[in-house]
Amino acid sequence: MTLDRPVRRLVVVSAGLSQPSSTRLLADRLAAATDTGLREAGLEPWVRVVSVRDHAQDLVNNVLTGFPGDTLREAIDAVQGADGLIAATPIFTGSYSGLFKLFFDVLDRGALAGLPVLVAATGGTARHSLALDHALRPLFAYLGALVIPTGVYAASEDWGREATAAEPALAHRIRRAARELAAEVAARPARVAVDPFDHPVPLDGLLGDLPDR
Amino acid sequence: MQFGVFTVGDVTADPTTGRTVSEHERIQSMVAIALKAEEVGLDVFATGEHHNPPFVPSSPTTMLGYVAARTERIILSTATTLITTNDPVKLAEDYAMLQHLAGGRVDLMLGRGNQGPVYPWFGQDIRTAVPLTVEHYSLLHRLWREEVVDHQGRFRPALAGFTATPRPLDGVPPFVWHGSIRTPEVAELAAYYGDGFFHNNIFWPSSHVRRIVDLYRRRFEHYGHGAADQAIVGLGGHVFMRRDSQAAVREFRPYFDHAPVYGFGPSLEDYMAQTPLTVGSPQQVIDRTLGFREFVGDYQRQLFLVDHAGLPLKTVLEQMDFLGEILPVLRREFAARRRPGIPGGPTHASLKVARDAGQAAGGRVLEPAPVAPAPGTGATGA
Repeated sequence: MTLDRPVRRLVVVSAGLSQPSSTRLLADRLAAATDTGLREAGLEPWVRVVSVRDHAQDLVNNVLTGFPGDTLREAIDAVQGADGLIAATPIFTGSYSGLFKLFFDVLDRGALAGLPVLVAATGGTARHSLALDHALRPLFAYLGALVIPTGVYAASEDWGREATAAEPALAHRIRRAARELAAEVAARPARVAVDPFDHPVPLDGLLGDLPDR
Repeated sequence: MQFGVFTVGDVTADPTTGRTVSEHERIQSMVAIALKAEEVGLDVFATGEHHNPPFVPSSPTTMLGYVAARTERIILSTATTLITTNDPVKLAEDYAMLQHLAGGRVDLMLGRGNQGPVYPWFGQDIRTAVPLTVEHYSLLHRLWREEVVDHQGRFRPALAGFTATPRPLDGVPPFVWHGSIRTPEVAELAAYYGDGFFHNNIFWPSSHVRRIVDLYRRRFEHYGHGAADQAIVGLGGHVFMRRDSQAAVREFRPYFDHAPVYGFGPSLEDYMAQTPLTVGSPQQVIDRTLGFREFVGDYQRQLFLVDHAGLPLKTVLEQMDFLGEILPVLRREFAARRRPGIPGGPTHASLKVARDAGQAAGGRVLEPAPVAPAPGTGATGA
């Protein structure tokens, strides 16, 4: 039965460092909620989690040598082939972690263009929550991704706090963000990457549409 | 098949002694390496071109002209000549002059250059590197083949009634390789003109090298220069040899660990597993090099990098003795594996024969259609 449902690839990038990691915990809850949303939309989600920590050495090597090792290449391909992305990072020194940024630094140019992205972050206190909007959103704007309106920030205290009239509970924010991401993924066809090695631009197209100098 | 060495011409401190050679010493070393290439029986010496420290070879034809006068046999080439920031008119003149002085023992490998500031220093913009390459090369190609050239483009002043002198030796332009690590557009350019394609094969895994060479071969056939397996392919390679492979690893490791490109990154062992770098015995280098044809097919030119990262000249010359030692085996084994109908490495003599035969040998005498002018560049000045 499920084979008849169109597949959408949901990839989770988590840059949590510790074991267990609250960033990974948040990412997993967002993934589960998005999975539910996609199923409700009649889609078959394939969920894949990339733990950036597992590629830490390879990321440094890639930045130095210019190419990814095999396991990192596979993770990059997974992210670049996604129909929806959940990107979760701890907040360090007022911004996303360096390791999180390193992963997005080594992606192929233009690879995330038009990709629906849910941004999420964790931190020790709620005071850093605007890092979502001041650091993660500009990063994904540069990459040409479509960042959904709700970002989810979880401070340590959020994991045990009840909802108030002024501020909904974390579980509520997770559901709302996941609903938005699932809707954006469901609203578009599966993404197809164009490989320049399979589809080269013919020579007379290489002079480009440059402004006259 | 042709074998040779290529050098980037970096001045790098020897990490084992802390000593940095002077520019003068490095330039003299490069010449010594070129002379050694001829002595040990190699076919090609190729120098890089750079316009910023820590590199010394800013003027390849000066160096190659000097080497030409002191050698009899080897082909003098480049790796790479900057088609972006050099004026194609000056390239046409310099390399034709060198070709005459060297008796035809000249070809060149074109590259774009990846050093951002070099572009504005020479009045160009790295963001337009691909169209700049295409326009500059189409002009260079014409300057060597057409007696009188009119040209109007976007990247250099117009030419009206211009003749590049001297004309190429025997009316046969130097063979051109297009070098690129990762840019499919350069493979396309090489294929369009039926020129050679060179992959440095040092910094990237073989799976990637295979993809870009495959693309070049497909497009070479598409443009009617011959079958895909007749396209002219060159590869780099990166080796360090000692009789005992453990001794090779021990001696090379500090150079690897501190090298400008991959230093402080992956381990030597990881890098050897991921890329064609081979540090070991002569037999290991033979085996690894013969394996290259398994992912790019039969190819025409193999250049080795042996001098970089501060390796002392004495060590480099020892490496070249090893190359001379394994060369007969490489020649014999590549020849034994080669399928029929594959062209050999291009030389002035082979190009002249092909031209005189008046038919395509590897397709290189076919003239491609002219590149369509870009929009907005058709009007001539009034």
